[in-house]
Amino acid sequence: MTRPALRRVCTHAILLAGIVFLVGPVLLMMSSSTQPTSDLVTEGLKFWPGRHGPENFRTVLTLQAGFTDQITAADMLRNSLIVASGIAGATTLLSLLAAYGLVWFRLRLAGAFLWITLATLLLPLESRFITTFQVTSALGLINTYTGMILPAVMVAVGTLFFRQLFLSFPGEYLEAARLDGAGPWRFFSDFILPLSRERGGAIFVVSFMIGWNQYLWPLLISTDESHYTLVRGIRLIGQESGPGMALVVLTILPPLLLVIIFQRWFLRALSDQKESF
Amino acid sequence: MAQVELRQVRKTYPNGAEAIFGVDMQIADGELIVFVGPSGCGKSTLLRMVAGLESVTSGEISIGDRVINDVSPSQRDVAMVFQNYALYPHMTVRGNMSYGLKNRKMPADEIERRIVDAAKMLKIDQFLDRQPNQLSGGQRQRVAMGRAIVRNPQVFLFDEPLSNLDAKLRVQMRIEIKKLQRSMNVTSIYVTHDQTEAMTLADRLAVINEGQVEQMGAPMELYSNPRTLFVASFIGAPQINLIPVTFDGTHLVNGDIKLAGYSRLPTDAPLVLGVRPDVLSLRDDGQFPVSVDLVEQHGGENLIYGSLAGAHSDTGESQEICLKAGQELLPDMDDRLTLGFNPDESFVFRADTGERLK
Repeated sequence: MTRPALRRVCTHAILLAGIVFLVGPVLLMMSSSTQPTSDLVTEGLKFWPGRHGPENFRTVLTLQAGFTDQITAADMLRNSLIVASGIAGATTLLSLLAAYGLVWFRLRLAGAFLWITLATLLLPLESRFITTFQVTSALGLINTYTGMILPAVMVAVGTLFFRQLFLSFPGEYLEAARLDGAGPWRFFSDFILPLSRERGGAIFVVSFMIGWNQYLWPLLISTDESHYTLVRGIRLIGQESGPGMALVVLTILPPLLLVIIFQRWFLRALSDQKESF
Repeated sequence: MAQVELRQVRKTYPNGAEAIFGVDMQIADGELIVFVGPSGCGKSTLLRMVAGLESVTSGEISIGDRVINDVSPSQRDVAMVFQNYALYPHMTVRGNMSYGLKNRKMPADEIERRIVDAAKMLKIDQFLDRQPNQLSGGQRQRVAMGRAIVRNPQVFLFDEPLSNLDAKLRVQMRIEIKKLQRSMNVTSIYVTHDQTEAMTLADRLAVINEGQVEQMGAPMELYSNPRTLFVASFIGAPQINLIPVTFDGTHLVNGDIKLAGYSRLPTDAPLVLGVRPDVLSLRDDGQFPVSVDLVEQHGGENLIYGSLAGAHSDTGESQEICLKAGQELLPDMDDRLTLGFNPDESFVFRADTGERLK
C-alpha cells in the first residue's frame, strides 16, 4: 500500500471510531426505548430495536409523575422549552446589544466593560450557587421561569462572539450609513441585525442546548414539581424502564432538531469564514 | 451654488496629536479639487472633516452659504465614495443605491427614476439586483459611484476611490470620473496619494504636507512653478532631479560640477538644484557629464538613469540623475553622455526650509 493510501485508511479508521463512540450511545438509547421494561431490567440495554416503542412513548407522554403525580412529560417538555428558549433568547439579544455598544459607540470605559463581562466566565454558575440562590430568593424568583432563566444567561460568551464579528466589519459601513442618514437605531436594525443573523443563529442554538441541558440550577431553584424540566424529570420515571428510555429520547429531540434546522448558519458562523465584502 | 470654503480649519485629536494646522481654501462651484500628499499628511482627515465624519477642532467649513461645522453628515448634502467602496453586503445594488434616499423619505418612483438614470450612466443597469459580492472590483466601484450620484449632492467627496483597482482599470475609471464630474458639474474633492491621478484629474491641486497646504493651484502651475522643494519633488513623474549644491557667488557648485547662470543666491546656506528630467537634453556643451546605469523603455519614451560624474549626493554616494528622452536614444550601460539644460528652466531651493529661491 502506498503511503497516501495508508494515511487515508488510517484517517477513516479514526473517523469511524469517533462516529461509533459518538453515535453508539445514542443508538443504544433509541433501540432500548423500544424494549419492554422487563427485558431492560433483566438483560440491560440493547442495541437492537424491540416492539414496545409505541407503547413506551404513549405511556411516557401521559404518565403522571412526581410525589404529587401532577407533572406529565408534556408539562416537562413545555417547561424545558420555555427555560431553554428564554436562556437562548436572552443570551442572544443581550450579548448582541452589549457588543453593539462596545464596538460601535465611543465609550470611555469600553475596554473595562468588556473585561468585566469576560471576567464572569471565570465564575461559572456552579461556583456561585449559594449567593446566586440567595439573590434569586430575595427577588422572590424561586419556582419561577425567570428565576430559572436569568442566572443561566451567558452574556459573556455571546458578547465576545458578536464583538469579534463586528470588529471584522469595515468601519466604513458606519460612515457610509451615517452619510446615508442612518442613526444608531437604523444602523442597528438595517445593518447589525441582518449582518449578524448567522452568528446570532449559532449563538442561539448553542445557548439553547446549554439551557436545555441545565440540571443543577433548575434542581435548586424549582422545588415545585410543576416547574420540573425534562432533563430533571428523567429521574422521576427511571432510566432502566422502557418509558424512561423513551423520555430520554424525547429529551434529546428538540436540540437535535434545532441543530439540523440551523446547521447551515451554524457551521458558517463557527467556521468564521470572511465574506468578501 | 455650492462653493466650499475652509477657514483656518484645524484638527487636534483628543490625545493631543495634531493632524491639520490651519487650512484655508476656497473651492469654486463645479470645481474638482484634488488633495494630494504622502500617506499620513492629513489629506483624508481634511476630507472627512468636510464629510462630517471627523469633528472640526477650530475654524469653519462652509458649503454654499451654510457653515456646516455642527451639521450632521447626512444633512450636509455631500456624498462620499470610499476606498473600499463600503457597499452594504446584505443589500442588492439597487438597495445600496436607494438606502440613503429612502431614509430621506423620497417617493419610491423618484428613487427608481434616479437609480435607473445613474445605473445607465455608469453601465451597471444589468446588475441592479445582484449582491455586491457577485460583482467585480470595477463594478463595485461603479456601484459606489452610483450610490453617491443618486443622492444628487452639492459636493462629491472621493477618498482614494481607485486605489483598490488594477492599473488598467484605474486609468479607465479615472477618465470616467473626470467626464462624469464635468457633465454633472458638481463641486468635488478627491483625495489621492497618486500624483498622476492628481495631475490628470484636478482642476486645481492642493499639495498637502504634514497637515498644511503647501501649495494650491492648477496642475501645470504647480509643475512648472513649485513654491517649495516638497511640491517640486511630489509633482511630476519621473521625479525631478534634486542635486545638493552650494553657491560661491557666481556658480552653483557640487564637487567638480560648476553651473553658471545663477545669481543673487545665499552663499552661506545649503541649496538644492531641481532639474526636471524632461528639461535635460543631450548637448555637447552641456553641464552634466553622466555615465549611464540603466535605461527604461516605456514605449514612446526612454528614461535614462545615470550617475553624475564628479558630483556627490547628500549621503556622499554618487548623484543619481534621470533624463527623459525619445525612444531613439538608447545608450548602453556605462556610456558617457553630456546633458545640458537652460538655467532658467531649473529651480533652486534652500535645503533647510525647502523654500524656493529661484
